[in-house]
Amino acid sequence: MTGLAGPALTRCFPGVGHSEGMTYAELASRARRRRLAPTSGRSRVVVQVGQCSQAVGASQVANCLADALAAHDNAYLVAAGCDGACFAAPQVVVNEPSGRTRHYSNVNISDVPAIVAVLGSGETLRPTRALEDFFAPQHLQVMTWCGQLDPADADDYVSVGGYASLADALSCPQEDVIDRVLVSGLQGRGGAYFPPARKWQGARSFPGPRVLVVNAEEGEPGLFKDRHIMEGLPHRLLEGALIAAYATGASRCYIYVNAEAHLSTQRMEAALEQAASNGLVGDNILDSDFSCEVELRRGAGGYVCGEETTLLNTIEGRRREPRLRPPFPVESGLFRQPTVINNVETLANVPYILQRGPARYGQVGLESAPGTKLVCLSGSVQRPGLAEVPMGTTLRQVIYNIGGGPPEGRNIGIVALGGPSSGVLPPSELDLELKPGMLHPSGVVMGAGGVMVMDSSVPALAVARRLASYNAAESCGKCTPCREGTPRIVAALDRIAERGGTASERDELRYLAEIVGAASLCGLGQMAGGPVNSLLHFFGDDLAAG
Amino acid sequence: MEREELRPLLRRKFPPHRTYLLPALHFLQGELGYLPQWALQVVAWHLRTPASVVYGAATSYTELRIQAPSQHTVRVCTGLSCWHGGGRELLAELSQTLGAGADHAALNGGIAVEESPCAYRCPLAPLVEVDGDWLGRASADQVLSRCGAL
Repeated sequence: MTGLAGPALTRCFPGVGHSEGMTYAELASRARRRRLAPTSGRSRVVVQVGQCSQAVGASQVANCLADALAAHDNAYLVAAGCDGACFAAPQVVVNEPSGRTRHYSNVNISDVPAIVAVLGSGETLRPTRALEDFFAPQHLQVMTWCGQLDPADADDYVSVGGYASLADALSCPQEDVIDRVLVSGLQGRGGAYFPPARKWQGARSFPGPRVLVVNAEEGEPGLFKDRHIMEGLPHRLLEGALIAAYATGASRCYIYVNAEAHLSTQRMEAALEQAASNGLVGDNILDSDFSCEVELRRGAGGYVCGEETTLLNTIEGRRREPRLRPPFPVESGLFRQPTVINNVETLANVPYILQRGPARYGQVGLESAPGTKLVCLSGSVQRPGLAEVPMGTTLRQVIYNIGGGPPEGRNIGIVALGGPSSGVLPPSELDLELKPGMLHPSGVVMGAGGVMVMDSSVPALAVARRLASYNAAESCGKCTPCREGTPRIVAALDRIAERGGTASERDELRYLAEIVGAASLCGLGQMAGGPVNSLLHFFGDDLAAG
Repeated sequence: MEREELRPLLRRKFPPHRTYLLPALHFLQGELGYLPQWALQVVAWHLRTPASVVYGAATSYTELRIQAPSQHTVRVCTGLSCWHGGGRELLAELSQTLGAGADHAALNGGIAVEESPCAYRCPLAPLVEVDGDWLGRASADQVLSRCGAL
């Protein structure tokens, strides 16, 4: 640890960084005992409290249920995360000791007495048809148990096999862990799809101390996947992060959470404290030789903060702007130490890979892109929410099979993919497969997995302008082409909206998009042409007509 | 909180390193509601960092504010899904009813109406935040009754 990195975390989070020297076997057997003792014979009432469901009263439902259950010895309440079916929020699931379950959708406080009245009974309430249809086409690997486990209870996670992969990793050489993740073909899920194991390898080739940074900034409009993981499965993220830190040989880990993700911050904080008191972070993790301090940091707003070198600058207390590369972070990153930066969803895949083995992991998804992808579906669909699908699933399957298609009487006009940088697609392109890299020669990419569906009544030009003006507002200003170019793209779109797109206007737009993309340091500028290029490609003829 | 109280408080909470700039500013904004100039100076002094750097951070991050917030804040999400799903109309209506025109923070009777680039709760569009609480599938009436009850 250098002086620059600051003192140990214990000064910021008292209690964190302290271990009891517990082995995994002890942890697992205690988790079994603890879970059996107070829960046997009692009904488990799970309220899914996520940041989405909070906006429609989940906290009030949870409080109301807590009051009602205070008088019940035979039931206990769990505030879990959200399983992704945001359209049905708030959800309550009752698990009876008899094995029967009851699913309640769109619950409000007036439903609470009815839920409590049948506790302990033999009644069953199946999930609604909408919920079944939403989950049937999905393939859960990362999101398994999300919405069922208590995020504040490490024992809950351990009892379903949690932290077994960490114990497994700690028992073998670091190179083996890297090899297994490398062979699995896992690619980063933050939008660039670079193999994380290559980053771990890269950082290992430079002398330590090394740092792992978990990029949980997720400041891209239309995205909410990392928040779901942190709210519902904070221990799975932590387990993945610790495995990555072990493989990299990092003695320090920062989890950088978006400023507005308050619930994610709270749940990660609680998970960290639990992990510390169970010997899962700090010194001699699971009684091994591996030690790693974990510190939570919060962003302070701004799309560009999710860019990895900008993120490093903000942790160091510098301006929020990207750094020149090289040197790449794996060589000289945070406090000039070799640094690996991994996305939340990426790390949440790692325990699964170690548990099931690389071969099993490769059975799902594409040969070129194994595994699943979390897709954030919103806009004009009947069932918006977070879905986990195999790589290579088509947009049509996501929008129609999972999302239920547009609400009655409406038609899909445009699908905006991957946040503000990617592009706009017409309904004729719905058979494109979701996968890393370019989905279409016009440059449309999946990005981090946002799928926003717009009605046919919305002009494509207005959508592209909306995205372009967002990019212009969020440009940090370091690179002149991005600072000056992004507002010019907006102005050019305004001119086209006013006077129709003459050939020369469209050429200017294309030219601007090319310059901004080619001459900017970070992803914001490099991808800022996305909405414009796809607009010109797919909707260019409409523009010419004015 | 006074200037004299802040110094020992910062000393206890944060080691004097620049890396604690954002944590210190977050802490202060939580305590004071915003970042007054005197507090920025104390942070700079404590972290041994130029005051201009601290001011730069306080003014460049969108979540930090250097002006006292109005008594109540209404933020309307205009991320793409909300913009498409009724957010535009809500912003216009709420600005007219509560504030003075769209696009800019407008003050009227202690209620500021602002635009938020995204609430990251897109499946529940349109979203409006009233004093820190986000309302999903929001309607103007719902927001106005919330404001009336403030």
